[in-house]
Amino acid sequence: MSDTFKVKVNGQRELTVSASTDGSQGTLLDALEKEQVEVHYHCRNGFCGACRTKLKSGEVTYINEPLAFVRSGDILPCCCVPASDLDIEH
Amino acid sequence: MSYSTFNQNHTNPLTEPMFFGNSVSVARYDQQKHSIFEKLIEKQISFFWRPEEVDVSRDRVDFNAMTASEKHIFISNLKYQTLLDSVQGRSPNIALLPIVSLPELETWIETWSFFETIHSRSYTHILRNLFTDPSEVFDDIVINREIQVRANDISQYYDDLIFHTQLWQTHGEGEIEVDGKTYLINQRELKKKLFLCINSVNALEAIRFYVSFACTFAFAEREMMEGNSKIIRLIARDENLHLVSTQHILNLWQYGEDDPEMKEISEELREEALAIFMKAVEQEKQWAHYLFKDGSMIGLNESMLCQYVEYIANLRMEAIGFDAPFDQRSNPLPWMNKYLVSDNVQVAPQEAEISSYLVGQIDSEVSASDLGDFEL
Repeated sequence: MSDTFKVKVNGQRELTVSASTDGSQGTLLDALEKEQVEVHYHCRNGFCGACRTKLKSGEVTYINEPLAFVRSGDILPCCCVPASDLDIEH
Repeated sequence: MSYSTFNQNHTNPLTEPMFFGNSVSVARYDQQKHSIFEKLIEKQISFFWRPEEVDVSRDRVDFNAMTASEKHIFISNLKYQTLLDSVQGRSPNIALLPIVSLPELETWIETWSFFETIHSRSYTHILRNLFTDPSEVFDDIVINREIQVRANDISQYYDDLIFHTQLWQTHGEGEIEVDGKTYLINQRELKKKLFLCINSVNALEAIRFYVSFACTFAFAEREMMEGNSKIIRLIARDENLHLVSTQHILNLWQYGEDDPEMKEISEELREEALAIFMKAVEQEKQWAHYLFKDGSMIGLNESMLCQYVEYIANLRMEAIGFDAPFDQRSNPLPWMNKYLVSDNVQVAPQEAEISSYLVGQIDSEVSASDLGDFEL
């Protein structure tokens, strides 16, 4: 089952992202990459925190539990998918 | 407050702070105050690898074909990493174990240090392959001025914490005179030293390793020193995990999710913590300058490396609640990422799901044909 959400990036671009909590549609990071957004990442596995992104509005679901400390207002796009329309700063 | 290897007082580890509470008695992990450390232990152990598994024999040919300036870059980085892991292979144990109060954090510290010793052993593995006698390289680590400056900065916060903890554990609180010098010992002062020490270790794991990583992976991009690069990838993956643990400790303090006094200290010493980080950034840029003093290498030069230090420092500082201090928001070395992705790290055979490598495994699948010659 997958849903489609709008993801606003850095206050400029708006992407349409299909998301599935079983991971079959990839992660939010994959979606940003596919749309040629310049992304920050290292491990792509939720433990290094290099992809840390500000979540201005919306909600995400983690498909893998992150090991990195997620500060309030931050998300780790390498291991989550959108659960609503999002406004993020990457 | 002398240390006991088995604290017989009845304490509840769920109400203890991470450090400077009661010392740990029973090593139990069925209940955890900060379960993240148990998860880090599991992850780290799942990463287990041995340097000997990586074949570095081809690297000798590549090394001999390098220019003198490239050799300088390669060997200097190995020296620096040897220093870093020499410190990290022992210091978390010596400095933090006497003051830790949670069983899961205690075991994480031991696991963490153990993996740093694997890294140290792997530098010997690499150097032994390149030189008939690697003594000259190892001996230079304690003489080389550039390395000395860094060694000083890295070890001083540990040494300071260790010394004051020893005074506290043997003499208790108060003014203590040793060799004509007076030291003021109380728990708040000790906690401040701990805070600065963890910040210094965090900066070490966050950026100090990355200048050498960048050079190693720049060689690998040219298909040189590939055995070495495989080892460094495994090391980088481990270091990422170690970094996560120091970030967790700092953030738990900052958010007041552990010791309330550490929250106060985090605010009180914020500027000093920032200064520690910025000094590490500065030193890494100077290190880049030293590396390239005789000339650059293909694909990498001093200014690119300094930009990378700034880029990564921004990411690391935001992770512990500082504003990003540098303008460098895009990654000047995009190829670095492919070496840092953990899925691209080749798994060691015992990690892969090959049944021959699963110790003590039982094949529990039974098919009808297995019962074919069975008669009643």
